[in-house]
Amino acid sequence: MPLLTVEQLGKSYNTHTKVLRNVNFEVEAGEFVSIIGPSGAGKSTLLRCINRMVDIDEGAVIFNGADVGMLNKKELRTLRTDIGMVFQHYNLVPRLSVIENVLHGRFGYKTTLQGIMGRFTEAEKERAFYLLEKLGIAEHAYKRCNQLSGGQQQRVGIARALIQEPKIVLCDEPIASLDPKASTIIMDHLKSITVELGITCIVNLHQVEVARDYSDRIIGLREGQVVFDEMSYRLTEQRTDILYGTKSKPVTQVRELLTV
Amino acid sequence: MQATTYMKRRRDGRISLNSGNQVQHVMQMTILILTILTIVAFLFFDYTGLNFKKALVETAHNLQAMFLEPALSHFSWSEAFYQVGITLGLAFLATILGAIISFFLALAAAANLSKEWLSKTVRIVLAFVRAVPTVLWVLIFAIAAGLGSEAAVLGMLLHSIAYLVKAFSEAFEEVDKGIIEALRATGASWWHIVVHAILPSTFTYLTSWTFLRFEINFGVAVAMGAAAGAGGIGFELFMASGFYFDLREVGMITYMILLIAIILEVMSTFLKNHYFPETVKN
Ligand SMILES: Nc1ncnc2c1ncn2[C@@H]1O[C@H](COP(=O)(O)OP(=O)(O)OP(=O)(O)O)[C@@H](O)[C@H]1O
Ligand SMILES: [Mg+2]
Repeated sequence: MPLLTVEQLGKSYNTHTKVLRNVNFEVEAGEFVSIIGPSGAGKSTLLRCINRMVDIDEGAVIFNGADVGMLNKKELRTLRTDIGMVFQHYNLVPRLSVIENVLHGRFGYKTTLQGIMGRFTEAEKERAFYLLEKLGIAEHAYKRCNQLSGGQQQRVGIARALIQEPKIVLCDEPIASLDPKASTIIMDHLKSITVELGITCIVNLHQVEVARDYSDRIIGLREGQVVFDEMSYRLTEQRTDILYGTKSKPVTQVRELLTV
Repeated sequence: MQATTYMKRRRDGRISLNSGNQVQHVMQMTILILTILTIVAFLFFDYTGLNFKKALVETAHNLQAMFLEPALSHFSWSEAFYQVGITLGLAFLATILGAIISFFLALAAAANLSKEWLSKTVRIVLAFVRAVPTVLWVLIFAIAAGLGSEAAVLGMLLHSIAYLVKAFSEAFEEVDKGIIEALRATGASWWHIVVHAILPSTFTYLTSWTFLRFEINFGVAVAMGAAAGAGGIGFELFMASGFYFDLREVGMITYMILLIAIILEVMSTFLKNHYFPETVKN
């Protein structure tokens, strides 16, 4: 059984536009999948349907045997502990230290009181340092997050996701605000999550080249529909153009721009 | 020349930079009418029996007695300090209780942390509370509690809450919604998010606002001493001016209040510079 099944998923934020339409795909445990597609195609929305950060309107998301749309509040919290999330803008609490931010990933396992008091076990703290060590930022553990560079902050974000001990990590454009060197570091770390720890990764990306280099499989999304879902080497330039609608009518577009 | 569909021109044909909506028009008219009324009012005053020269001289004399020859005559220095302490105490009590209650109410009022209906209800109720001046609240509470410090603290408390909830909830709403989303995605509960994301991100703002309100409450507490018989330095001021007509004492008390106000101001600046450098920089 696949780890994640998305069945005929439909989503709309308002009545007149459908952001996702009849989306179907499966992800096996240990896969590294990229989702690409033009801006506004619904990539972020699709990721947020998986851990139900937005409500699912039609169809179903089955994760690890559970119908995500049917869970009650408590079950949803438990589900989210299994799903790590990494963001374009890192979304760390800037005034808190790196180590505190990493430990935020443990709240899903805490009761309200334990969480409020900030009670973390020694094992959890050791694990946090271990992860920071692995990501190469242990020396910054006691610094405030806003003193770190973007690439370093993103690694804190990854550590926060990993300390959840997730089965899957969802990344929404993790390298969109980073330079090529920092991007490579982040993508290498994400890849090693799947390869070394066997954790599934779904990554929204704008860089087609990066998607092709790192992922096992690429899902192309356009106007809320899956238009490509194959092994990454099958993504030819021609199909990329269709996906993004780039070269379909280039000459007329340029003319339009010039005449305006 | 085609882009002019969105461009607005004034009557004289020059391009307008304001959207020229109703609100602006009403504002301008209001200010104009108020200005005219103010000028006209001076023409209707009753000037009989007013000797301008004599009035000016006596005013100057009174001011001189008040501010250049201040002295205490009806009570001692130690008594004066004690009374200032009472006034500070009233302000402190109202502010601290107000800040604690406001924190929780502001969580309910912040649109990003609360349900829409709850947030709206809290806001509307507190807007009403804020619209009524503190003095009036004190007098309303005086009906139940009797004139005195209890009514004063309750009234100041209520108005402080209305004020601080607005300030606090706006600070909460400024918190990057990505942070809240990230914590929700880890499975954190609402209280976890409040304590570990909202509070650290806004703590300096909350303290600054609370201290600012303390400054305001000190001023109000002085007035309440006189108006509501809450005691403190305000009451002595009331007695000195309205009962003994002792202008020198009025001057002295005014200086004392001014001194406290300056100390509070210096303290708040100091706090800001030393403990919350980022709020000043931002
Ligand atoms: N909270 C929201 N409320 C209303 N509409 C939304 C909301 N979030 C997204 N949308 C709309 O849904 C559509 C898809 O948005 P989404 O963010 O999923 O696209 P995306 O593929 O992630 O785009 P990008 O590559 O720019 O991040 C857009 O048209 C957007 O305007
Ligand atoms: Mg997006």
